[in-house]
Amino acid sequence: MLRSSLPEALRSRGVSRRRFIDFCSAMVATLALPERYLAAVADALNRTDRPVLVWLEFQDCAGNTESMLRSDDPPVADVVLELLSWEYHETIMAGAGKQAEAALKRVVEQEAGKYIAVVEGAVPTADGGVYCTIAGRTALDIAREVCTHAAATIAVGACAWDGGLVRSAPNPTGAVGLQEAVPGIKVVNLGGCPHNVANTAAVIVHYLTFHQMPALDQYNRPLFAYGRLIHDQCERRAHYDAGQFVEEWGDEGSRKGWCLYKMGCKGPDATYNCPTVRWNSGTSWPVKSGHGCIACASHRFWDVMSPFYKPLPKVPGFGVDVTAEEIGWGVVGGVAALTAAHAVASVFRPKEEVPKEDKPA
Amino acid sequence: MSESTASAGIPVEPEHFHPIAREENLVRVYVWEWPVRISHWVIFLSIAVLSFTGYYLYDPFIISRGGGAFLMGRMRLIHEAAAFCFIGAVLLRLYWFVKGNRWAHWRTFLPLEGWWRRGFGKQLKYYLFLSRDPESEVGHNPLAAATYVVVYTLMLVEIATGLALYNHILGSRVLGFFVDWILRVINIRYIRETHFLIMFVFFAFVIHHVYSAVLIGIEERSGLVGGIFSGYKFFPAAFVASDPTRRPHEEKIPAARAGRSHKLRTRRRE
Repeated sequence: MLRSSLPEALRSRGVSRRRFIDFCSAMVATLALPERYLAAVADALNRTDRPVLVWLEFQDCAGNTESMLRSDDPPVADVVLELLSWEYHETIMAGAGKQAEAALKRVVEQEAGKYIAVVEGAVPTADGGVYCTIAGRTALDIAREVCTHAAATIAVGACAWDGGLVRSAPNPTGAVGLQEAVPGIKVVNLGGCPHNVANTAAVIVHYLTFHQMPALDQYNRPLFAYGRLIHDQCERRAHYDAGQFVEEWGDEGSRKGWCLYKMGCKGPDATYNCPTVRWNSGTSWPVKSGHGCIACASHRFWDVMSPFYKPLPKVPGFGVDVTAEEIGWGVVGGVAALTAAHAVASVFRPKEEVPKEDKPA
Repeated sequence: MSESTASAGIPVEPEHFHPIAREENLVRVYVWEWPVRISHWVIFLSIAVLSFTGYYLYDPFIISRGGGAFLMGRMRLIHEAAAFCFIGAVLLRLYWFVKGNRWAHWRTFLPLEGWWRRGFGKQLKYYLFLSRDPESEVGHNPLAAATYVVVYTLMLVEIATGLALYNHILGSRVLGFFVDWILRVINIRYIRETHFLIMFVFFAFVIHHVYSAVLIGIEERSGLVGGIFSGYKFFPAAFVASDPTRRPHEEKIPAARAGRSHKLRTRRRE
């Protein structure tokens, strides 16, 4: 295991100090820290002793790994790869088989309490966890061992956070998120499908600079990334307030970039920094590219936020095609019909019972 | 405003007013005090405004083609302003559950006494055409009272969910102290859906409410519908004297304990 200093390692990768400062600035901005922290962050990263990181993949599509590797300018991947000593990552590591597993075992034993564990993918719990096994061990078993010995655990992507797609109904493998599978560990959740690498890097930078995790919300998600409504940061918000809405794909409003609320955009419900951090080097994000937000960074979004193209979820107990509005009007119509029937019947209700002695002869 | 001293009515000459002869002496009873009437009408008007604007928030059916209309922004503003009127009216009515007269008091809404439980079944039988006469009361009949308990509960749910959604945008710490827990317990999607669906329950309730008010008003000849405008209803003096409702500090009316001594006779003679 080679442990060179960060500036050296970056230089050998062709990352100049200017680009490194670029990266630090982006991190300070992402963390919503004042600019004066830039020097502190750069200094802390330069002096880091490159803690060990292990990346575990369970039930997933490797989308979070892809998202991380595809990030570029600022060279987030380069810096993050060099900031930490990556000892284990199934998808990108050179080692395989016994050697790979030995590396993980060594980290857990020798670096206990010092390494950072990043987990991607859900953990199946049904039938003893047999639906995801690596080197003969279940995901649950691995997660329990690796995460309980880690200094900090980061769950990246929807699956590792709350089970994500794998957990969505009917969830045949009994998949759950990491913090449910291994209760009691300190975990930072970075939901999203996939996670946004800028946020994950910022969490790591925060940890390396301040030696603690950033402030978290009730789901253990960092507030700097998940604290604000997408709707409030959206560049189409002005069209929402003006009452200008896309009504079908490709219509006039769609071409003019109007608000996607009527197309089922979940921006008013979801919190994430997607509109400001964006994707592909800050090029775009779903709403900017013309599709409504599906709230991929929200809790249990596959089940709760669907149907993605309708403003309200389906009402439990009714068919998939029945909307809340139809049920509402059905109730009103039913009561109106009953009332009308009652009114007609009341017209024919018997008149007052006439006392017997009053009966006409 | 003590109800036991209900002002004796002007001597009635029924033949001049409607063709039904009433042998009893009618008295004019001040049933609905001004906070009840004010809150009733503010709640009605604000729900009308809230429903229209709220439906627009769900489905913006008017699309602003030109610039500068600020349509959704205005709808939201009107919705929020009407919501605070609504909250004010509901709070006034809640206060009057404690402070108001015996017919507005919270005790009359709950099955605490025998008259209430008996009357509930009897009124239900009337609506199902199983008995001829409605179970009349000076204030609400027990079945109506039970309905209002449900409606007031739904109003409180609307207020709680509405404020939670409002604070989701506003982010006030003071308001958040009261309502932010809701979003932690129930997903915001279902908060929106609940807030939306209860609107339709109010629509259905209005249909039923107006119909039954007119129906019972016709049956009782008590000026029931006018009562929510003027506050007054008209009943035979003996019927009012045997009214079983009371406020906590008031004595139970002995006659009421044994059941009504005087039953309101409803008439539908032509």
